[in-house]
Amino acid sequence: MNSLAGMLTDRLSAAQVVDGIEAERWAVCGRIPQAVVFPESEEQVAEILSLSSEEGWQCIPGGKGGWLHGGQPPQGVDVVVSAERMNEISAYEPADMFIEAQAGAELEVLERRTLECSQWIALDPPGGERGTLGAMVAVGAAGPLEAGFGSPRDQVLGATLVTGDGRVLGLGGRVVKNVAGFDLLKLVTGSWGTLGMITSVTMRVHPVPATDRSLLFKGRDPAEAAALACRLAQAPLSLAAVELLVPGDAESGANASSPLVAVRILESVDGADEAERLVSERAGIEPFQRLEGEQSAAIFENVRAMEDGAELVLRLSLLPSRLPELVEMTSRLSGLYDPTEGWGMRLAGHAQTGVLRVMIAKMTHSTDGLDQARVVLGVLRRSLEAEGGSLVVSQGPPEIVGALGAWGDSGPVAPFNAGIRAAFDPASILAQGRLPQ
Amino acid sequence: MENILPEPLTKKLGDRLRGVVGDAWVIADADRLLAYESDGLTAYRKTPLAVVLPRDTDEVSRVMGILAEEDVPVVPRGAGTGLSGGALANGDAVIVGTARMTDMLELDPDNRLARVQPGMINADLTKAAEPYGLYYAPDPSSQSACTLGGNVAENSGGPHCLKYGVTSRYVTGLTVVTPEGKIIELGGFGREPGGYDLLGLFVGSEGCFGIATEIEVRLLPKPEGVKTLLAIFDRLGDAGAAVTEIMAEGLLPAALEIIDGPTIRAVEASVFAAGFPTDAEAALVIEFDGIEAGLASDVERAVVQCRAAGAREVRIADSEEERLALWRGRKKAFGAMGQIGNDLMVQDGTVPRSKLTEVLARISEIGVRHDLTIANVFHAGDGNLHPNLIFDRSDADELRRVELASTEIMAVCVEAGGTITGEHGVGLDKRRYMSLVHTPDELDAMRDVKAVFDPRGRMNPGKVLPDLPDSAGAAV
Ligand SMILES: Cc1cc2nc3c(=O)[nH]c(=O)nc-3n(C[C@H](O)[C@H](O)[C@H](O)COP(=O)(O)OP(=O)(O)OC[C@H]3O[C@@H](n4cnc5c(N)ncnc54)[C@H](O)[C@@H]3O)c2cc1C
Ligand SMILES: Cc1cc2nc3c(=O)[nH]c(=O)nc-3n(C[C@H](O)[C@H](O)[C@H](O)COP(=O)(O)OP(=O)(O)OC[C@H]3O[C@@H](n4cnc5c(N)ncnc54)[C@H](O)[C@@H]3O)c2cc1C
Repeated sequence: MNSLAGMLTDRLSAAQVVDGIEAERWAVCGRIPQAVVFPESEEQVAEILSLSSEEGWQCIPGGKGGWLHGGQPPQGVDVVVSAERMNEISAYEPADMFIEAQAGAELEVLERRTLECSQWIALDPPGGERGTLGAMVAVGAAGPLEAGFGSPRDQVLGATLVTGDGRVLGLGGRVVKNVAGFDLLKLVTGSWGTLGMITSVTMRVHPVPATDRSLLFKGRDPAEAAALACRLAQAPLSLAAVELLVPGDAESGANASSPLVAVRILESVDGADEAERLVSERAGIEPFQRLEGEQSAAIFENVRAMEDGAELVLRLSLLPSRLPELVEMTSRLSGLYDPTEGWGMRLAGHAQTGVLRVMIAKMTHSTDGLDQARVVLGVLRRSLEAEGGSLVVSQGPPEIVGALGAWGDSGPVAPFNAGIRAAFDPASILAQGRLPQ
Repeated sequence: MENILPEPLTKKLGDRLRGVVGDAWVIADADRLLAYESDGLTAYRKTPLAVVLPRDTDEVSRVMGILAEEDVPVVPRGAGTGLSGGALANGDAVIVGTARMTDMLELDPDNRLARVQPGMINADLTKAAEPYGLYYAPDPSSQSACTLGGNVAENSGGPHCLKYGVTSRYVTGLTVVTPEGKIIELGGFGREPGGYDLLGLFVGSEGCFGIATEIEVRLLPKPEGVKTLLAIFDRLGDAGAAVTEIMAEGLLPAALEIIDGPTIRAVEASVFAAGFPTDAEAALVIEFDGIEAGLASDVERAVVQCRAAGAREVRIADSEEERLALWRGRKKAFGAMGQIGNDLMVQDGTVPRSKLTEVLARISEIGVRHDLTIANVFHAGDGNLHPNLIFDRSDADELRRVELASTEIMAVCVEAGGTITGEHGVGLDKRRYMSLVHTPDELDAMRDVKAVFDPRGRMNPGKVLPDLPDSAGAAV
């Protein structure tokens, strides 16, 4: 056992620390930590982080470690602090429409519990049900349902954060309306572990709608489907999700091979029929498929899992009405991969928020290939930024994300970001470099 | 916060400010400053050093730059309808008002976005969006007067926030002038900037981090149909129970508002009379909106729940006129209450909605014990209470009892698992309750974050955060 792991073992117990070969599975963007530690309480998290602050160990707060390779590579990785053993549901009050759980609780477990009372957490971030609650909040990830229900930032009512120097802060609360002081909770959502370790989260829940229906429309090509998705997103009614789906170059099968628009309707029984009528009318064509209940939910589950096995995942954004332009721009990425490797390139566009996810199965890996990718992505980012949009590299080879940065420059707000980070992590031990400077 | 009386504005500072905004838009004479002495919470009064009314972001930036150089504290101000004393300035501080910044900068119906100046009145935005079948969802009861800048600063709510959420869900981007006069952009629809959610942080920051000079908001398509019900109860607690049951049914009304007996009687005696029966102890206004075809079954289920909870009568508004009358009665209730007594302390707290009945009973008991009239009109579906304490400012003992009762009401909300303010903000008035809901570490974290934006403590000083125990009243 290395000395760092030894010191942690002294503070906690041998059963709560792993190192060496067992730590390999917890590599963060390719960097293997010296130790992985599994605290069982807030107090233990505070103790670990205080000790790390004293020793100057670089810490990465984590959940189950399923997506530590995502995002921008941190500068140092000495310790991964996993919330895996802090996974209890601490309170669920259906009448008050909130559920509170420790950060390590799996989304799937929460989903099962709330369904018993005909409620659900209306979020469908990429990655699926096995991820932890804390991680979802830490990366602030949302999926197609963002259009209808908002992203985690809108649905997290409260959280407990242990700061870099071991202070325990209770932020927000259990009620929807709460303006008692500055909204530090907003900072936590999407903080990527840089402000502290999230140890518990209170989420808003919603009643399960009577009808869950998805209408699938086909487009002849991606451009046509994108235009249709835009038109539907502008329909004069509130739709839960409007998603453009373009299957990979190498994916075959009668339906899967053509680009689709999937419209999700979550309504009362009568409301759903009327919504369907309005949507079809606006589309000008009939849906080629109509999925109800579990099948409707399943197609959107598939959307969450679309990046499984992807080597490069991008998020391109512009105003929603420009989704067709985003789709067109993906042709500039054709040199980055070989379409016959794996499934090639897939697209998924959130038509109401103007985000296009681009997934590439396997990149061209010669040195030339990666150099070229950096150049192409850099140019694409600059042209999107010039139009008020952005390009985020959600996940990719460290050579790419490290050089390019997951996000663009923060510009004039950089000093504010830095100031906030220093306030929560004075010893600079948390996930340094994970967010843009 | 100590009351610092104003010295006359020095010629040098006055000239510099007039040089930016023009002579007409720097107010420094005592008579005209009276209009800026208080906000909607009239218990507090303070006279600012001066009021400056810039026209756009650039002018705000130059004004703020001058005030930074001269080391003068700044208080932003919209329409002054705030109910926590947030827009008040001491005599050493200058108010930067947004009264001249009322323009629609851009309306983009395809993307359902608007970009406005912060002095635009909330209701004017919906008016501008209406021709496109769109509207702005957050609808504070003060929407015909309050500004979007004020809404951003307070993270305001309104009756329809039950279904649609509060201001923070609709603000997608901001242009902000920092206390030092720098212009920064936060957020922006159609882009995913990296870094912290500074936009979310700014919303609800009560003018303590900077001045919002341009606001980008999301608009929603107007719902196809709306159905409004009125349920009448003989007991306030029963109306509370009906709210709990309606939500437990899995229904999500657009609004669920309770108006209690004393408020009903005040409203009916005013020009806003809406036809609420004056012998009732509670009226519950329930609204459903969305696709027309889906509304009938929701209404039916809500009626069943109201009857089961003891409603003596349930009416469905069958004309748009009748619907608007109900809403006028609800939204003008505070105004109507002004007619019961001279002064009104509009309290604001949130409790988990399952605790409504219990908490309302305790509040009523507090009123009896302190011999005060308390009238309730509130966003019941969100558990957001507004107990209104009616008093006469010139009666020192009554004022003292109002203070005592307010403190007890706050403690009851917190004890029930709620908080000390749901939408009106902390401002001046609620700083003393902050430690009921936040630990010293949490308050310190808020101080640290404020200092990131406002290192010299010049921005809306003495608001939101309680004084440090050892600083003898000095503002943070
Ligand atoms: C195949 C796949 C693809 C994904 N794609 C995306 C994507 O494109 N965009 C996106 O945003 N998300 C993505 N995710 C992440 C997903 O939304 C969940 O966040 C994920 O499943 C997390 O589960 P985990 O517990 O394994 O997280 P981990 O892998 O343990 O952690 C994920 C991230 O969150 C941080 N974190 C975790 N827990 C905490 C905590 N308690 N406190 C502070 N920080 C913490 C970690 O530092 C790390 O950066 C993807 C996940 C998978 C499996
Ligand atoms: C009858 C009545 C009914 C009300 N009903 C509701 C309701 O239903 N829901 C609700 O939430 N509130 C309600 N309010 C409270 C009040 O209307 C809101 O808080 C409103 O948002 C204040 O807007 P304003 O323009 O009047 O702001 P002001 O009172 O002028 O200022 C409020 C705060 O915002 C700051 N501020 C103002 N403009 C800016 C800016 N551009 N940049 C930065 N900071 C700024 C000020 O410094 C101050 O701290 C009600 C008030 C009244 C009198």
